Amino acid sequence: MEETHLPQVFTDGILPTNIAEQLATLTTGYAPDPERELQEPSYYDYPVLKAPVWRWEIIWYFFFGGLAAGCYVIASIAALFGSREDRAVARTGYYLSLLSVLPCPILLTKDLGRPERFLHMLRLFKVKSPMSMGTWGLVSFSLFSGITALIQAARDGILGRWWGPRLLAALPQSLLAIPGSALGAFLGGYTGVLLTATSIPLWSRSKVLGAIFISSAVSTSSALISLVLRLTRTPSRVLHKLERLEWVALLVEMIGLFAFLRGTGRAARPLVGTAPAEHGRTFWSFVAGGGLVLPWLLQTLSLLVGRSGKRRSGRGIVISLLVLMGGYFLRRTMIEAGHTSSSDARTTLWNARR
Amino acid sequence: MAIEPTQRTTTRGSSLTSMVSLLVGNKVPPLAPQPAMGFFTDTSLCIGCKACEIACKQWNQLPASEPVWTGSSYDNTGQLSAITWRHVQFIEHIGRRENGQSTKIETQIAEAKSDGIIPFTPPGTALPFFNSDRWLMQSDVCKHCANAPCQEACPTGSIIRTEFDTVYVQQDICNGCGYCVVACPFGVIARDQYGDHTAHKCTLCYDRLKDGFEPACAKACPTDSIQFGEVEQLKEQARERLGILREREVKEARLYGVDDNILEGGLNSFFLLLDEPEVYNLPQNPQRPSNNVVPASLWTIVAAAVLGLCGIFFFRE
Repeated sequence: MEETHLPQVFTDGILPTNIAEQLATLTTGYAPDPERELQEPSYYDYPVLKAPVWRWEIIWYFFFGGLAAGCYVIASIAALFGSREDRAVARTGYYLSLLSVLPCPILLTKDLGRPERFLHMLRLFKVKSPMSMGTWGLVSFSLFSGITALIQAARDGILGRWWGPRLLAALPQSLLAIPGSALGAFLGGYTGVLLTATSIPLWSRSKVLGAIFISSAVSTSSALISLVLRLTRTPSRVLHKLERLEWVALLVEMIGLFAFLRGTGRAARPLVGTAPAEHGRTFWSFVAGGGLVLPWLLQTLSLLVGRSGKRRSGRGIVISLLVLMGGYFLRRTMIEAGHTSSSDARTTLWNARR
Repeated sequence: MAIEPTQRTTTRGSSLTSMVSLLVGNKVPPLAPQPAMGFFTDTSLCIGCKACEIACKQWNQLPASEPVWTGSSYDNTGQLSAITWRHVQFIEHIGRRENGQSTKIETQIAEAKSDGIIPFTPPGTALPFFNSDRWLMQSDVCKHCANAPCQEACPTGSIIRTEFDTVYVQQDICNGCGYCVVACPFGVIARDQYGDHTAHKCTLCYDRLKDGFEPACAKACPTDSIQFGEVEQLKEQARERLGILREREVKEARLYGVDDNILEGGLNSFFLLLDEPEVYNLPQNPQRPSNNVVPASLWTIVAAAVLGLCGIFFFRE
């Protein structure tokens, strides 16, 4: 992607190439066989599909959209089911949700070929088109996220003491939280469904991309909330709940990702392979390795070894940062590998031969 | 086949009706449906003259593409794009004689000569009918799918089906979101990155159809490799042509998009091919992207439910 340049270490990865290659073969169940692939008919290897037009705007939108959705859902769960202490989670979550949702419409509009026509998205309510549903989902979620955060701000006394905030504070926040959370869950997952409902072999072959994206939304959001809480010195009992949720979300994400790679098989090569155009070196180092397995193991360690103690604080921050990095690179490699996948004629034709 | 321009019904009623029409827009009654129109591209007749490419560019006033030399064949167009709506492919199969076929062909020729099927010819005369080398040509175009993935994906309603059942992009509605580009399983529709940044593709010469003319490419095709007409009639024609070719021992001839139910409804612009679809860069049986919405959503809901319940469980304690 020419707009953003990564430092060499991110494109090269930190795992040796042969280990990444072995992992690719192991997880996808497909060992590349160039000789047999060359036997397959093709038209001078010209791409069958058009490359996606989506670039860095969409990657960051997927990342921030996931955070906004996850933060809102976690905050609502904390507000509805948590103890008095858990209010800190709710408060932080609602603020972070609003902050994360703010860049989303800007990124999405910038991504359009004709940004001034962004309102054309609202001409239809088209259940069949995830893009249409997503727009409506984002619009209505933003509304809920905004109002909920305003109520929170009014209750926290940030908005002053005049009649406006007093009126806002009287509004039933928890009543808004239920439809808002449903919309949040939608926003966190529809992006994966949107990619699945295309002709790109990598995105569409297995049907679990939405499940991966929503678990990543929850894991990155709990990482972000716990990071902020840790920096503001919240009691560790509250953090413990968040960490357990994060641990489960990472686990679901890993299972989902494994199912994705197995189900996608040969078409997953652009994501996990190590050939020049493939993104396996970044994927194994910063998504699967550094962004999922490593923080999950560290989290397991933290949860097993003692609940208290200040020693955990530094480790907790590292875990949060690793999870956030993994969430970003998951979306980045997925989009970039989709570009590679679209230009692989033989795999596209193979994918359509069933 | 010309269409009467539909009369715009003027609302001259009460102020209430005019207010309503102001709110919901002055609705023009839908155009009367016409028989579905499409293309039958018979590659067995294509001579690779590229007249269709040029006629299309001229009629639709599409800019010329950057001249490139691909070096792989006479195909220097490369692909369909936002500004190229017909694309002639050149499939050169040289070296098919390997795998020990060469003797077989010479035997065939000798047999044909001894049987008197072909008269004696001086040595060195080309006998193309017995040559195993092949030069296939195909004029590729938008398939105007009965269930068009681009139209299903389009969030703005810019992509519509016209009264001729063709798939048409309304350029004034399209906002260039790019979802149709990844939805199309044939790599046809594209966003014009240098022009108006909206999605473009073959319109099946909607403007010409409106006036009762056939599309520019079909009009220009000198061998009738590109035929235009009512889809059902054309499909019948295609089956007949296949029958004739089969009778003449062209065993590898096959139809694409006629009876194979591609994308669960077939194509309104279909082909007669002389080899597997993949040889022409056509996917054998592409999935309909919109079919993925339900399973993908279900998996997402499962994951969301698991995580939601875990969250509730952890925070309840």
